[in-house]
Amino acid sequence: MIASRSEIWLSRGVLITVAVLNLMPLIYLVGISFRAPQLVFVNPLFPLTVPLSFENYRAVLSQMDILRYLLNSIAFSGSVTVGQLLLAIPAAFSFTYFSFRFKNILLGLVILSLVVPFVVTYIPNYLLLAKWRLINTILGLILPMLGISLGFGIFLLRQHFMGFPREIIEAAMIDGANSWDILWRVVLPANLSPVVAVGIYVMINTWNQFIWPLLVGGGHPRSYTLTVAVQIFYTSPEGSDYWGAIMAASVLASLPTVIVFLLMRRKVLASFVEGALRG
Amino acid sequence: MATRIPSAKILTACRAWYNTYLKKLVPYLYIAPALNFIIIFVFYPLARTFQISFYEWNIIRDRQNYVGLENYIRLFFDPNFRQILVQSLIYLLISVFAVVALPILLALLALQLTDKEIDLYQSLMFFPTVIPTSVAALVWVWFYLPTRTGLFNALLHLFGVTQPVQWLTNSATALPAVALVSNWKVMGFHFLIALAGLKAIPRDCLEAAYIDGAHGWSLIRHVILPLFAPTGLFILVITLLQGLEYVFVPIRVMTLGGPANASNNLMYAIYQEGFQFFRAGYASAMSVVMITLFGGFAYLQYRLLDRRVNYDR
Repeated sequence: MIASRSEIWLSRGVLITVAVLNLMPLIYLVGISFRAPQLVFVNPLFPLTVPLSFENYRAVLSQMDILRYLLNSIAFSGSVTVGQLLLAIPAAFSFTYFSFRFKNILLGLVILSLVVPFVVTYIPNYLLLAKWRLINTILGLILPMLGISLGFGIFLLRQHFMGFPREIIEAAMIDGANSWDILWRVVLPANLSPVVAVGIYVMINTWNQFIWPLLVGGGHPRSYTLTVAVQIFYTSPEGSDYWGAIMAASVLASLPTVIVFLLMRRKVLASFVEGALRG
Repeated sequence: MATRIPSAKILTACRAWYNTYLKKLVPYLYIAPALNFIIIFVFYPLARTFQISFYEWNIIRDRQNYVGLENYIRLFFDPNFRQILVQSLIYLLISVFAVVALPILLALLALQLTDKEIDLYQSLMFFPTVIPTSVAALVWVWFYLPTRTGLFNALLHLFGVTQPVQWLTNSATALPAVALVSNWKVMGFHFLIALAGLKAIPRDCLEAAYIDGAHGWSLIRHVILPLFAPTGLFILVITLLQGLEYVFVPIRVMTLGGPANASNNLMYAIYQEGFQFFRAGYASAMSVVMITLFGGFAYLQYRLLDRRVNYDR
């Protein structure tokens, strides 16, 4: 657009200021994690202190079973991501290429499931998992997540499948392929990019989950995810007021999604825009 | 070959049977697993919530008794509940400024810059979104420490305020303090959505309007905003609908709804009733009231989603 030089500089100034302020908490998070424990409360105005100290990280690694929680988090978000995709892809396919009775009602139900607030389902879902003896198990964390927010993937993938030329599908049908083959050999390979986008979106959101993993898995270390473990460390006698170690644990818990973001920045941004604009 | 004729017949019969009956089932078979999970973990719990709201139900002792409308009646006369409703509204009002108006304004400013520069700012601002909220909230706890070792009190000290503020335990500051954290978390996200919406407006439209004499504010008001309205409405609706969900984690980590409910809201109060006080019936009644109150927003969001669905007619 056409704007004067001073206007452009004003906009730039505002955006830079907001961006830097926005990043400040993360700069402090990293900065304090590298501070020697006795210096944590010195000079709160400056995030970084030299020389860097790794002592907080050493403390965290020795006091917390980080590896186990990391594996738990990977199992949790990995299973939810793969599971949601495996459920959503066939459903989206069916909603796109078939016409059948009650289709619109069922599709409406899928969309409706997205606007039900999560907190409303907490108590009944908890009771259900307790009945199945899945409290404090990773499976108990995973299962409800395969239903909650699944509609999002179905909806999004359907939008993409609809953009896929029908002639190709019809040609495959004439060649004698059945719908199952068409789904996995024709439609899916041609729509890998949106499938990956949905996967990234689900993965990041599941990784960052806290309340549900705390409720269902917070009772026993075997089912702590990283977010839960960091919190429990923060409220434990060893962790409280040991800010350096809390920050170091926080950095470790955030690292995986940050790495995904840095490696696939464009893809992540696109998947979030799409998730928002379409879901 | 006499034996082949019946088998071929059976095959045709099978195919005919498949074509008339089973083939119709195929589309349902693709949907069934997904729908199964959605029904078990969303719609069944929803129905259960309605049911439980008519009981007095202690989930720890698993003791339940039917009490009819008692939970609702108690809720109606509960002054705490009224306070919590008011605070939910205050929180949403703050959010409308912080994560609807502000990101849209920033996106309008960004529109004057090159795509490369915009990309840089949106990436930087997006960072808080990828960090777990529970973890990010801990940094903020450190910022809010009630002594001069906390960042905010150190800053205040710099400006001559010697008495440290008890940000999280003072009833006047607790709500704004948690609101700042949740809104900080989604600001970059909403900025990203707003930018995408603005960029979707064809440049030709803007240039044509500019040539026709629309500049600055009038260009924004008469050309950009009408075209941007659906995206803007979308950001508003998700803020109203999910705002209380966004602040859930900061409340859990930083204030636990306190002091004396000062930072509490509807969603967190439901969680507290259910899992801290174990009064599942009362919590469920609150859930039902919340669903009713937010039904309007939910319906709006449903319509927004629905419009893009393109049902078969």
